[in-house]
Amino acid sequence: MKRHHVVVRITHWVNVLALTIMVASGLRIFNAYPAFARKGESFCCYPFAGRPIPSWLTFGGWLAGARNWHFAMMWLLVVNGIVYLGFIYLHGEWRDLVPRRSVFRDAGEMMKFYLTIRKDHPRQGKHNALQRMAYFAMPLVGIVAVVTGVAIWKPVELAPLTHLLGGYVWARYWHFWAMFVLVVLAAVHIFMVFTVDPYSIPAMVTGQYRERWSPEARNARPFVHLAPAREEEDSHAQR
Amino acid sequence: MRNADGLAALAEIVRQRESGHAAERIGIDRRHFLAASGAALGALALAACDSMGPKSAKSLLTFAMNQNEVLERTLFRHTSIDVPKASALPAGSHFPSYFVSRHVPVWDPAARGPWHLEVSGLVRTPLRLSLTDLAALPRIGYKLDHFCVEGWTAVATRTGVRVADLAQLAGADRAARYVDFQSFDDGYHESWDIESAMHPQTLIVYAQDGHYLNAAWGAPARVFSPVKLGYKNTKYLTRIAFLPERNGGYWSDQGYEWYGGV
Repeated sequence: MKRHHVVVRITHWVNVLALTIMVASGLRIFNAYPAFARKGESFCCYPFAGRPIPSWLTFGGWLAGARNWHFAMMWLLVVNGIVYLGFIYLHGEWRDLVPRRSVFRDAGEMMKFYLTIRKDHPRQGKHNALQRMAYFAMPLVGIVAVVTGVAIWKPVELAPLTHLLGGYVWARYWHFWAMFVLVVLAAVHIFMVFTVDPYSIPAMVTGQYRERWSPEARNARPFVHLAPAREEEDSHAQR
Repeated sequence: MRNADGLAALAEIVRQRESGHAAERIGIDRRHFLAASGAALGALALAACDSMGPKSAKSLLTFAMNQNEVLERTLFRHTSIDVPKASALPAGSHFPSYFVSRHVPVWDPAARGPWHLEVSGLVRTPLRLSLTDLAALPRIGYKLDHFCVEGWTAVATRTGVRVADLAQLAGADRAARYVDFQSFDDGYHESWDIESAMHPQTLIVYAQDGHYLNAAWGAPARVFSPVKLGYKNTKYLTRIAFLPERNGGYWSDQGYEWYGGV
């Protein structure tokens, strides 16, 4: 039994590519005007106005290059997102992601475990409660990023949408926030993959996974109990 | 240095894979292969940062740009109009000024004779309009958003003549599917699709915030429309040419979208 269906594995890595290019090219676009205020006005809510994003975090080379990448890659992001969401809806994977009623209590228990207040790993299914929240939030924030992005792409042709988001300046601000939240979610995700469950990497490539490798079985928190159970190592060594 | 190492590792792996079951021969196992590949990919990602991306992607980007234009032109409506937020302050003297000449372009009547705006190309009666002629035509004034490709916006009241009125006055031909707006700013021009040019908010502007344009804002006249990004709105106008084919533009020839719609 594969841990992740092949559709989920492919859309995951396509999303890595599309999102990376979208974020980096978006930051290059942002650098052309690293502020939010309408000319002649001030803007309440961005303290870093006028300070560009470090260029090594950006992609596209110059504004036109970044825009061309951004407006091409958005289709890959959207189509990939629709394929993923459509698949998990039809195939049932959404049940592993939609938060259960107890998600906040369970997430609290996970936090206690990570903070070593609690000794044993809480029981979980495929994902723990924190993962459920993160993986559920990711597509939602992604949708916010797409909708706000469309609103600042076509603020006249789709004026009602842009007005709904508070006008061009605010839509651009929400677009920036959506990007930021996606980046934070992805960063925490990558950190946890490497420090808690590196076995999820082959699981997301080949689909291979053993329950004995799971963080719950290893009682793993960041940097702790990374090694798999001993019998796993033995069977591995025979090869 | 890391880039070079990673790329060398990748090249080595590719070479070995091409020469057969390299893993068996040199004893590289899957884990090492994955680690080396990861390092190589990371190096590639780093090498790609703030570059224009791989050359091979260029045709893909052009394809996407053309498809986006098809979609944007389908979305375009003459009834979609720009209404700035009531609370938006006019930019006034904070309104940015852009030109491509080394110095602010100023029309010198002593050297070039009196300024005229030429309306020509596929028209029944070519026009040569002085600023007085323009000001005598039906006057339209709108408070409008200006959307710059850089991401900023600015609000100003624009006063002038509808391009649609000029097209009617000159008797523009049905075959004129494109309009080129040309200037005396070192050859700056941008051509438009006729639909955008005929939008009711597309104006030949000679006054901003109630005053005739100053040199920084494109005097004597400029085209302005909220349905196009700033760079499409040629300042320092000299000629409006109705054309059967598109004629590129200063920025659109350099990689910016030709359509530049908002």
